[in-house]
Amino acid sequence: MEKTNTFDSGSSQETLLQIVGLKKDFGKLKVLKGIDMNVHKGDVIVLIGPSGSGKSTLLRSINLLEKPTKGKILFEGQDVTAANRETLCKMRQRIGMVFQQFNLFPHLRVKDNITISPRKVLGISAQQAEEKAMQLLTRVGLQDKWNEWPDKLSGGQKQRVAIMRALAMDPDVMLFDEPTSALDPEMVGEVLDVMKALARDGMTMVVVTHEMRFAREVGDYVLFLDDGQIVESGTPSALFNHPQEKRTQDFLNKVL
Amino acid sequence: MIHFDKIWTIISTKYSVFFEGVGITLKLAFFTVLFGSLLGLIVAISRRTRILPLRWLMNAYVTFIRGTPLLVQVLLIVYGLPQLGVRMERLTMCVIALVINSGAYMAELIRAGLQSVERGQVEAAQSLGMNSSQTMLYIILPQAIKVTLPAMGNEFVAIIKESSILYAVGVYELTYQAYKLASVNYYYIETLIAAAIIYFVLTYVATWLLTLLERRMRRGENKYV
Repeated sequence: MEKTNTFDSGSSQETLLQIVGLKKDFGKLKVLKGIDMNVHKGDVIVLIGPSGSGKSTLLRSINLLEKPTKGKILFEGQDVTAANRETLCKMRQRIGMVFQQFNLFPHLRVKDNITISPRKVLGISAQQAEEKAMQLLTRVGLQDKWNEWPDKLSGGQKQRVAIMRALAMDPDVMLFDEPTSALDPEMVGEVLDVMKALARDGMTMVVVTHEMRFAREVGDYVLFLDDGQIVESGTPSALFNHPQEKRTQDFLNKVL
Repeated sequence: MIHFDKIWTIISTKYSVFFEGVGITLKLAFFTVLFGSLLGLIVAISRRTRILPLRWLMNAYVTFIRGTPLLVQVLLIVYGLPQLGVRMERLTMCVIALVINSGAYMAELIRAGLQSVERGQVEAAQSLGMNSSQTMLYIILPQAIKVTLPAMGNEFVAIIKESSILYAVGVYELTYQAYKLASVNYYYIETLIAAAIIYFVLTYVATWLLTLLERRMRRGENKYV
């Protein structure tokens, strides 16, 4: 386990994401104070930390939903922060994202929520896109919701559809921004199960969550963020069982 | 002395005259809303552009139109265009004036509709790799239009009434017909009451139809409107 402010899993797989000296200010508020981390193919990295620690901002910076104040983010070797609009769209196609509030498109049925981007952005035929969407929905047991409107779904179903919508683009990495925080407790499990299966299939994932059990069971590495910095990182068992930093210990005492 | 008994006689004997006026009034309202909403859409989207001069121009247009009376705008178009050498039917020029006027109000309505779409929708679209025009076309606009439609319906009803000022430039819409009729039968008040009743029936029925349409649009799907 390292005690530095940088993180690299040391995996021999290719590096998908390199975050270098990332800083983000919101006006006077310094939310990220210099983050350095690498994500290798197949890594499942879980970001934990108190609210306001900057973990969501870090995640949202990766596909430039937040524009960094300083620093670089390289995705597959290309700098996201320096990309022109067209290149940025191309990169975002390869970076899937799942939101706390699901953000399904309310004016589109479930099937169209999933197929709209493959069709309109990637130019895949309607038939092909629908076949793929059906496969994805079947995988999470929602094939009977094919023609349904999003507001007729439960929270857990919405989030599973949202994950499949992101997967329909065949992304190289998936970002999860507190995917279970808006769910009723009894629905958390069904969403975590989908994420677990995804991790088992080798998807590269960066997950911001308050679900410590998920972090422990599924994460390859857990990063503890506080006050805009990576305070501590390591394997789940190391970080949860033998936290080195006082701030990590305090946080874990509160949430576990 | 108002002869209330005359009102029905006027309507029932001269209905063809009123019909003609009603036809023109409805035509005006229909084309104004049709082209006005298209213009409003273009203006509303242009006001979100990064091209500053275009944005300024559109803001100026909306501010100017909303800050001047419709009648003055109509007079400017109807008497101004011919002076610039534009030859057109008067009715067409009136539609142009109404469209220019209505477009500014529609732009405001549509802008409110665009703003009502949650930020998360845009973020979801962006994260799926959509560019800004795809996001606008497939995600923001459909939701915004749906929110705006009831207000557009109200605009239709409003134009039925407001188009009555076109009587000032001699377009044969409902008010003009009534006025012309009154100058022949000398029952001024009675004839104008008859016109008022017809206007009321028109707007009442139009509002009722729009409510039905709205309800139908909502049925079986999302509550989000």
